[in-house]
Amino acid sequence: MHDYILPFGPQHPALIEPVHIKLKVEGETVLGSELILGYNHKGIEKAFENRWWQKGVYLSERVCGICGHYHTTCYCNGIEKMMGLEIPERAQYIRVIIGELERIHSHMLAVGIVAWEIGLDTLFHYLFRDRELVMDAHEFLTGNRVHFVMNVVGGVRRDINLLKVGEVEYALHKLDERFDYYLRIFKNDASVKNRTKNVGYLSKQKAKELSPVGPTVRASGIDYDVRETGYLAYKYLNFRPVVGHGGDVLERCVVRLKECKQSIELIRKAFDKMPEGEIAIKLPHIINIKEGKETVSRVEAPRGELIYYIKSAGDKPSRVKIRTPTYQNFHVLDELLKGVSIPDVPVIIASLDPCFSCTDRMTIVDVKKKEEKVITKHDILHMRDGEHEH
Amino acid sequence: MNIDISLLFYILIFPGFLTAFIIGFLYMGIMRKIAARMQHRIGPPIWQPFFDFFKLMSKENITTKETVGLLATFCPIISFAAMLTVVMLLPIPGYTPLSFEGSLFVLIYFLIMSSVFFAIAGFAAGNPFASVGSIRELSQLFAYEFPFIIALVTIGVANAFSLTPYIAVNFPFALFAFFTSILGKLSLPPFHIPEAEQEIVAGPLTEYSGPRVAMFELVKAASYWVLISLGAVLFLGANNISMFVLASLSILILLIIFRVVFARLTISQAFRIYWFIIAPLALIDLIRALLGW
Repeated sequence: MHDYILPFGPQHPALIEPVHIKLKVEGETVLGSELILGYNHKGIEKAFENRWWQKGVYLSERVCGICGHYHTTCYCNGIEKMMGLEIPERAQYIRVIIGELERIHSHMLAVGIVAWEIGLDTLFHYLFRDRELVMDAHEFLTGNRVHFVMNVVGGVRRDINLLKVGEVEYALHKLDERFDYYLRIFKNDASVKNRTKNVGYLSKQKAKELSPVGPTVRASGIDYDVRETGYLAYKYLNFRPVVGHGGDVLERCVVRLKECKQSIELIRKAFDKMPEGEIAIKLPHIINIKEGKETVSRVEAPRGELIYYIKSAGDKPSRVKIRTPTYQNFHVLDELLKGVSIPDVPVIIASLDPCFSCTDRMTIVDVKKKEEKVITKHDILHMRDGEHEH
Repeated sequence: MNIDISLLFYILIFPGFLTAFIIGFLYMGIMRKIAARMQHRIGPPIWQPFFDFFKLMSKENITTKETVGLLATFCPIISFAAMLTVVMLLPIPGYTPLSFEGSLFVLIYFLIMSSVFFAIAGFAAGNPFASVGSIRELSQLFAYEFPFIIALVTIGVANAFSLTPYIAVNFPFALFAFFTSILGKLSLPPFHIPEAEQEIVAGPLTEYSGPRVAMFELVKAASYWVLISLGAVLFLGANNISMFVLASLSILILLIIFRVVFARLTISQAFRIYWFIIAPLALIDLIRALLGW
């Protein structure tokens, strides 16, 4: 049997976003893979550079449709750190509550897609039906189902809707029961285990070498979670990360489901402990930060550690660099795909819960010479200068 | 030359071609609707397969550069013709003028032929997804055909190789083997391996469009009708129409439950299950039938 290239993407039913993975295949066995990004590069990092600090919040919300709140939290935390601000405690709690709710819906989506990839549509539909509960909880608290736009520099834009807290707690109660049910499925159902157990195995050693983030690394037995550093209100909530030891697709799903249960606990605790008071610090219309000041801000997004590097140029940033968790998780993809059979490829990719649109970097393909290269900052500057000459 | 009008009616309308397609599409529609309700969805209307069929018929055929045009044209037709032959020989209680001694075997052969030409159509498309789909279709054919034939032959031995109604109470393993092999034949979960959209897009039909897909849809509808009817008559012993309807629907419901409950197997797992679990069990029943226990 000869080997051939099986194109996985850019358009493929198993992929939600466009990415191109060239699979070198012999029969049904994958010999190697090559990841090609660049199909939905949005140029957001560049766009930050000509917006005021406050306007950047709206932009960072749009980096991702699923974990937008984490991007704004990370961005605002960074700016507040540079300004030396400590936001009101109530605002910290609100940021945590909305974030944990967002984590629940993101994890449900991820597990649902794994269920769909193994051909079990029923579990997928169940998860997405129950996901409506948490989406509604979002709407109760913030008024929006996605893109909550709760954060501003210095706090949150609006208080959560206190009349609806009871309904949110009811939704959380229902969800808690459902997560027990799903955990039981992943523990006992032979049909599910058959396709997920020992598939896409990542050992603790390899995980240390390649250092993925989020549930991917925690399922391999490494307790790495930025929430442990106690940013925002996490310092009041006694946070301990969920760790699994299987290292396979099954374990990643189980870790996600357990994290959902943990998020429910965190939200309940946060509702109890949340103090009364201000929700934001009044700031001038145009914030000025000393030029050249820089910071690194980290939060734990659903997919893992999200890092913003921000450098100031006075009333706006001179550079915002976003390191999304998916970017870090890509490094294990080639390792995981080597030697597996085609049916396991989409399952493994889905188990990393990739978010390509957050991650996309530019690739230039020279069609005439049939070669491709990733361009650097210098190349761009050179190209820009070259254009000026004409 | 005199043409027997009733025979013509039998072949073309009831319980021949027209019935096969209409009831087959209805089975598919009912399956989609009930499965959707089980998954807490609303689901398409029961008539959706008919709408799909008429829409496909009105579309144009697109042939890509890599496609072997001749094969792509004739594979659907041959597959369709093979399935029509099967429909003609199908034993329906009260209507079996065309069945003859050994028609059981002809039926098995033509069923295989229709699947094989479906796979060849995939190879003809010149698309990697279609090729992988065809390889899987053929591998799965080898996997399920063995227990399928054993199950039918068991009933054949017990029933003197006629296609008269027979109740397989004595041969539960043969019944089980038959039921699991029609899951494979119809590409239903957990054996929806050749058409795994998450892995290989649309399988063998990836490059096909318009009337050719419509043709394969007809083949699929007819195979639903053929396999469910075979089960109802040969294994559940339906000897009149009302019992036949009842038996067919109960098989259909069982198929739907399987469709909703199971995740997809991989091709090697499917092979293991068919050859090392289902086939040996069916063989026990075949030996019992041969020895007359």
